[in-house]
Amino acid sequence: MTDVSKNAGRRRFLVGSTSVVGAVGVAGAAAPFVGSWNPSAKARAAGAPVRIDISRLQDGEMLGPIPAWRGRPIFVIKRSAELLSALNEDPDRLTDPDSQELEQPGYAQNEYRSRTPDVMVLVGLCPHLFCSPTPHIELKPEPFDSEWRGGFFCPCHGSRFDLAGRVYSGSPSSRNMEVPPYSFEGDNVLVVGIDEENA
Amino acid sequence: MTHSKKNVSDSAKSGRFMGAMTGFVEWTDARLPIVRTWKTHMSEYYAPKNFNFWYYFGVLSLVVLVIQLVTGVWLTMNYTPSAEAAFASVEYIMRDVEWGWLLRYLHSTGASAFFVVVYVHMFRGLMYGSYQKPRELIWVFGMAIYLVLMMEGFMGYVLPWGQLSYWGANVIVSLAGAIPVIGDDLLVWVRGDYLISGATLNRFFALHVVALPIVLIALVVLHLLALHEVGSNNPDGIDIKKNKGPDGIPLDAVPFHPYYTLYHDLSGVVLFLFVFCAIVFFAPEMGGYFLELSNFQEANSLKTPEHVPPVWYFTPFYSMLRAVTYPLFGIDAKFWGMLVMFGAIAILFVLPWLDKSPVRSMRYKGAYSRVALLLFVVSFLVLGVLGTQSVSPGKTLLAQLMTVVYFAFFLAMPWYTRKEKTAQPPERVTGRFITIPQLLGSILLLILLVVLPLMLVSGSAEAAEANLDLEHVDTDFDDKGSLQRGFKTYMNYCSSCHELGYARYARTAEDLEIPEEVVVENLIFDDSLIGDLIVNAMANEDSEGWFGAAPPDLTLVGRVRKPDWLYSYLKGFYADDTKNLGTNNKIFANVAMPNVLHELQGDVICESHGDPDYCELQHVEGTGEQTPAEFDATIADLVNFLYYVGEPIRSRRQEIGIWVLVFLGILYVLTTLVGREFSKDYH
Repeated sequence: MTDVSKNAGRRRFLVGSTSVVGAVGVAGAAAPFVGSWNPSAKARAAGAPVRIDISRLQDGEMLGPIPAWRGRPIFVIKRSAELLSALNEDPDRLTDPDSQELEQPGYAQNEYRSRTPDVMVLVGLCPHLFCSPTPHIELKPEPFDSEWRGGFFCPCHGSRFDLAGRVYSGSPSSRNMEVPPYSFEGDNVLVVGIDEENA
Repeated sequence: MTHSKKNVSDSAKSGRFMGAMTGFVEWTDARLPIVRTWKTHMSEYYAPKNFNFWYYFGVLSLVVLVIQLVTGVWLTMNYTPSAEAAFASVEYIMRDVEWGWLLRYLHSTGASAFFVVVYVHMFRGLMYGSYQKPRELIWVFGMAIYLVLMMEGFMGYVLPWGQLSYWGANVIVSLAGAIPVIGDDLLVWVRGDYLISGATLNRFFALHVVALPIVLIALVVLHLLALHEVGSNNPDGIDIKKNKGPDGIPLDAVPFHPYYTLYHDLSGVVLFLFVFCAIVFFAPEMGGYFLELSNFQEANSLKTPEHVPPVWYFTPFYSMLRAVTYPLFGIDAKFWGMLVMFGAIAILFVLPWLDKSPVRSMRYKGAYSRVALLLFVVSFLVLGVLGTQSVSPGKTLLAQLMTVVYFAFFLAMPWYTRKEKTAQPPERVTGRFITIPQLLGSILLLILLVVLPLMLVSGSAEAAEANLDLEHVDTDFDDKGSLQRGFKTYMNYCSSCHELGYARYARTAEDLEIPEEVVVENLIFDDSLIGDLIVNAMANEDSEGWFGAAPPDLTLVGRVRKPDWLYSYLKGFYADDTKNLGTNNKIFANVAMPNVLHELQGDVICESHGDPDYCELQHVEGTGEQTPAEFDATIADLVNFLYYVGEPIRSRRQEIGIWVLVFLGILYVLTTLVGREFSKDYH
């Protein structure tokens, strides 16, 4: 009898340890297959930060949808004092006027959603179903909004955003447009994809 | 009290769970015979209990099949099947895709491993008569698997679109043209073009990754169904169903699961994986036999490589193809060679009907059969070795002789299996048959019979080949200083004409431990970004005009040529007024490249000492910015860098390999102990 119980203990130990080591092996063997789905060096190179010359951008103008960063259109808008003052006229019309949702880096969580008031940088995609909204920068009545105060209108499902990319109440989108991480190199070069903090 | 209460509720819970499980199994089994299938093919499939070493290889071929299917699927995720992009996409997998190098090496090593295990598996069948009645269909399906496997291997080898992919495909596909009357039209049809081209590549890709794997899996299923219908053979070649116990189970049998699956095969599979991974991580090229070096050069339809050897698993048949040198009946030798080659495969299919012996196993067959099998194996191996070498009259003669031996094994089989005296097999299965000294003796005899004829015919051809006197240089991935200097020398002296078109600045900077800003400021001479490939937009067209040949991409030159050649070549320039460039090279005569390092090296002359065939390079003292020793160090650094950039993962691959092997070693010990412990229950 003692022999059997000794055998049972030995067997339990052998099966247990082999199973554990085997499971580690299966996980290890799976790692390369899982890992190979990560962005390749080529994809990472294509998704690297982009440098944009904004020296010739005039008040009330927009650069975009080219350049793109990680394949997404980047909107760069130079806002005049008039456009800036129009931004916070009537916060009640906006869903998230204070940018509570984290759709922007910390340094853009302010009344203008930007590092500097005049230059606005946005990922040019509507957070609803990712169509690219059309810019309507001038402060004039538009067919879709008789009291239009400048911004973006999404042709797909009619979401409306102000010139800080904040969504108007009553739009299909419930979130503001995303502000990408960005920084400046001197006055004229905008770098999208990299924060000064992380640079 | 609480303690026992908890126990009760636990067991009640597990009782409910088990009840639900049983209910679920009953429900599905009434609709799909999963349990019955499991019993038929695993837990109540009774296999002879005396399976030996040779019986591992059936299971191993399944293991390799799974490896090939999974890695193959993963490779298609990044491979581009087009003549323009295939080669670059393979290098993309090797360099840019995370773990891509491992997926590719697993697949390329798996291809060779497949043939190793299948050849051993076939040999087992020959030795123990596993093809004899009633197992003819198992053998025929097995041969069909082998045939499909060869097509898979051939087409898969074309996909990387290297030089040997291209010219190998060219040679094999051209065989279709040897068929009288329809040959030429057939050839164009198979290629879909007037030469091997992107059209051929694309159809091979479709067949390799979709059509043939489906056929292969279907055949494996048929092979196993046919096996499980009649039951496994055994080393004694006797029918175990003749001796059944009162329960109807053969006395000499054990249930396939768990006896063979867990207690016998598992440790064998782990041991196989150990050897397999040792190759994958430490010798994925296997000395140029698993991955041929010329295949690291992109396909070029205008330039045949010096040697176009097939991959090793085709070489026996390739030798037979070359061995036929006589035209017959007004049809040229090429056609008969093709016939012999395909005949050598076709004749395997009819083997079950050629063996007229009353016994199955070689253990009880007579001397004729044993000698015949030995000579057959010798012929196959000798033909295999000859197929890797270039021809000479002696070698062709030997190949012809061995081809005759190969066919005689089959054609004379009806005669010698009837003629010889056989022994009476035992009633019940037995264990080891031959002793260790007998086994070692047989292996020694086999080696002698293979090596001696080959030694007899070698020599003359090898001596005729130009024997380059290469100077040895050490490479060291850990010497970052050397690699950094090499990279700098490359960018300063090589990059204006050559490209490293598959390597990226960022990866190179990281591996060489150079900060990215330093690379951007000092080593990138155009407007490339750090993540870009090290290409040079102006390089090729201009220099082709200057030198008459486009400077090759150098990413893989370290892999193709190896460090010693590069070192000797770069040091081998000397002044030669008879050449356009004013220089020549001792290692690579009449090369179209000027000595770009001349300002460092200074003048070198070729001192012939009156003998026009002799050339001793002599540095002219006082010339050049560097002393000869400094220059040698510069070249050594450059070669170190080029060797690194040929396979950037090399060093890490070996580091990972050590861990993998240690792990598999532990797993082997554990699985062996489990097998030993639990197989006690069956004896």
